[in-house]
Amino acid sequence: MTLYGAGFYLLGSIILGTAVLAVTRRNTVHAVICLIVSFLGTAVLFYLLGAPFLAALEVIIYAGAIMVLFLFVIMTLKMETSSEQGTSMGRWGPAVLLGALFLILIVFMVIRDPADRVPLETALAEPTTFGRFVFQNYWLAVEIISLLLLVALVAAIHLGKGKGEQMKEDEP
Amino acid sequence: MIVPYGHVIVLAGMIFAVGLVCMVARRNLIMLLVGVEIMMNGAAIAFVGAALRWQLLTGQVFVLFLIGVAAAEVSVGLVLIVAAYGKTGSLDPDAYNILKW
Amino acid sequence: MISALTPEPTLLITAVALSLPFLSFSVISVVTRSHPRLSAGISVGAVAVSLMAVLWLVVLNRHTGHPIAYTGRWIVAGEIHIRFGFLLDPTSLLMLTLVALISCLVQIYSLGYMAGDPGFSRYYAFQSLFAWAMMNLSVSSSLLQLYVFWELVGLSSYLLIGFWYEKFSASQAGKKAFVMTRLGDTAFLIGLFLLLIHFGNLDIQALNNVGAAARMSPWLMTVSALLLFGGIVGKSAQFPLLTWLPDAMEGPTPVSALLHSATMVAAGVFLFLRLFPFFSQSESAMTVFLYVGTITMLMASTMAMVQRDIKQVLAYSTISQLGFMIMALAAGGTFAGAFHLTTHAAFKALLFLCAGVWIHHYGTNDLFHIGRRGGRGAAIPMACLIVGAGGLAGLPPLSGFFSKEAIMATLAELHNPVWVWAGLTGAFLTAYYAFRMVFIILFPGETESVLRKEGDTGPSGSLAAAHKRTHDHVMHWPLIILAGITLVLGFFEEPLNLFLLTRQGLHGGGAVPHSGVAYGSMALVFVGVAVAWFEFGRKGSPRVGFVERVPFLKALFSNRWYLDRFYSKMVKTILDRTFSRLSAENERLAINGSLDLFARFIVAAGRFLSFLQSGILRYNLMILFAAVTVLILFFWIG
Repeated sequence: MTLYGAGFYLLGSIILGTAVLAVTRRNTVHAVICLIVSFLGTAVLFYLLGAPFLAALEVIIYAGAIMVLFLFVIMTLKMETSSEQGTSMGRWGPAVLLGALFLILIVFMVIRDPADRVPLETALAEPTTFGRFVFQNYWLAVEIISLLLLVALVAAIHLGKGKGEQMKEDEP
Repeated sequence: MIVPYGHVIVLAGMIFAVGLVCMVARRNLIMLLVGVEIMMNGAAIAFVGAALRWQLLTGQVFVLFLIGVAAAEVSVGLVLIVAAYGKTGSLDPDAYNILKW
Repeated sequence: MISALTPEPTLLITAVALSLPFLSFSVISVVTRSHPRLSAGISVGAVAVSLMAVLWLVVLNRHTGHPIAYTGRWIVAGEIHIRFGFLLDPTSLLMLTLVALISCLVQIYSLGYMAGDPGFSRYYAFQSLFAWAMMNLSVSSSLLQLYVFWELVGLSSYLLIGFWYEKFSASQAGKKAFVMTRLGDTAFLIGLFLLLIHFGNLDIQALNNVGAAARMSPWLMTVSALLLFGGIVGKSAQFPLLTWLPDAMEGPTPVSALLHSATMVAAGVFLFLRLFPFFSQSESAMTVFLYVGTITMLMASTMAMVQRDIKQVLAYSTISQLGFMIMALAAGGTFAGAFHLTTHAAFKALLFLCAGVWIHHYGTNDLFHIGRRGGRGAAIPMACLIVGAGGLAGLPPLSGFFSKEAIMATLAELHNPVWVWAGLTGAFLTAYYAFRMVFIILFPGETESVLRKEGDTGPSGSLAAAHKRTHDHVMHWPLIILAGITLVLGFFEEPLNLFLLTRQGLHGGGAVPHSGVAYGSMALVFVGVAVAWFEFGRKGSPRVGFVERVPFLKALFSNRWYLDRFYSKMVKTILDRTFSRLSAENERLAINGSLDLFARFIVAAGRFLSFLQSGILRYNLMILFAAVTVLILFFWIG
């Protein structure tokens, strides 16, 4: 077990543990906080797996922007008080069964495939190299993503206005 | 030499399963979206591992786009949840059953 | 096809003779239903022309040494080739003549008997159908064709027995006849299939060919012979399927004369005659036939001894005489059987038609009533009755005497003397009951002038009297013709023997009459007549038969040896208690139950699956992920 390997397993357990914690929290804010920790762990994992640029992106966008957005919305909806009522831990049985089945299937597949025994060699993707690669080969996808973000922005603004402000706009 | 490739896949699968359980079993719309995020996280780990396995950058590019899509989707989703909450006053997905037979 | 017919006059004549009655049937059924006299005319005309054609055929072909066959392809399936066509040899020509002649006479007789009946056209349609079916049966060249016409004959018999269908007992009788003969026919059919599997075709000539039959294993031979005999048992009312024939007397008397004395029941004997070379290959089968024939003959004779109803006496007598014929054939005497078939046809038809005259006049079947009302006053029927009864009993020099002697001679040649003794007993009983019937009518004791009640006699008034005269006229002529035949036919024994012998495979059946047996049977016949005279004929006689004095015997014989009761009990137990109950339970539990279960399952499944439609998102998501998992599995394995 090399250092990297140990690091991998440690990080893996952190990610998994906090994810499970996030799922089982009754309070939604707590859940989101756990999830942030999970994403931070994921970011370090990305760094371990040779994608530092992605690690940075993960922290900035995923853990930073998206989860904060979650928190904003949760707090807007005043859900701490109502977090007890509507969010009973539904029926876990079928869901856990389903997850377990899925997991067993994946493990089975991995075990049976000899190509999965290949040890991963450490490598690092320099951000410069990565950037050049993206813009050389996938520039179209980058443009589309930016369009998608624009559309999402417009939609969010429009949907978020609500009825009252719409009526205000209609008045000449 | 970090870990065998299979372990990365198994980890990604486990995270995905956790996200699946969260999405299906929680009766809060916010937690639904949290489940989606966890699942996407798992997928991202799988892609990065694959990129490392085959020493190609394409996997990491895909994760880039995945992050971007997640951002767009979360924003729209949350706005919808807010609007729905404003309309019905409940965040329980079981309450939105107007389309039942 | 016409051009193929004209160079062959025989074929043409045969085709004409055989198809005319069918044309008559179709025309009457479709076109002339509402014109009774026209229908009768068409039918009688058709059968008369057929008769003339048949006679011409006989004249044409009486010297040909070998059978003539015209066959065409019918069913060809793999290795099975069944042909249909006409097979003209002496046996079939004899039967054809018999059928055509008696059909013609009976149809003429019916002009008088059935006059005024609302179903007159229908009656003649069915008569034509029967004539057609019976004639075609006689000349069928393959067993399957014969079976088809066999069934058609059964059908026409059902239609004619149940002719007065408004009467419940008549329709019941028709149904009973059909079902019982059908039982026999099922055995026949199974035998046919056995033969078909083995031979690949059902040609009668091929079956009779000794070499061909020798290819079958003896066991198979016996089984198929017994099964085919099942059909004969059914159709010719042998034991144990004999109870339909007395009930079939519900039909009009001409029908009884035609079907149940002369032709239809003789179809069974005819089949035996036809396939005699085939049957004689199996010794054990022939022994069984002999037993069946003997038992039938004796049983039916006893039943005839205690009957009050004239038609019932004649019905049992028919069964008994058929038993005689089967005995003769089973003992190897083909000519004896065939000759008795012919003479029996003549005198039995005669007897029935005579009875019909009285039934038509007096409206009653009862012997004693007919006698008391002055039945003997009708001269021609009475005389013909005596002639017919003499033929039946076997009094010399009537034809019945010669044919019965031939049978006795055949029986005497068997090793076991028990058959001859049975035959002699039968002769005694036959003479007894035949003349019992005659004497009850001839010497009625008290005449109706003493016991007459008002309004009991037949139609009164001048119109009715005029009716009676024309009816009588028409009804008497067939009687006279048949009586003449009965008187004379006995002397044609030798020519008939020669005629029939020209057929291959028949050994000389005309045995020399054993003098001892001949005298013995003649003596017994006279004794029988004497006993009947003693009990019924003398003045002041007790008018009760010696059998009727024993109540046990009287009950036994009157109830047909309790055969009917046995059958109804068997039917009740087997069908009603077992099969019906099983079927009802099966219907209730298995069929209805399974349908109910299925329906309930569907409802439950629907209820179970309705959670998908509840509008709850989580369930749909679960199904979605489950489907994804299954797909992964599928693609991984595949």
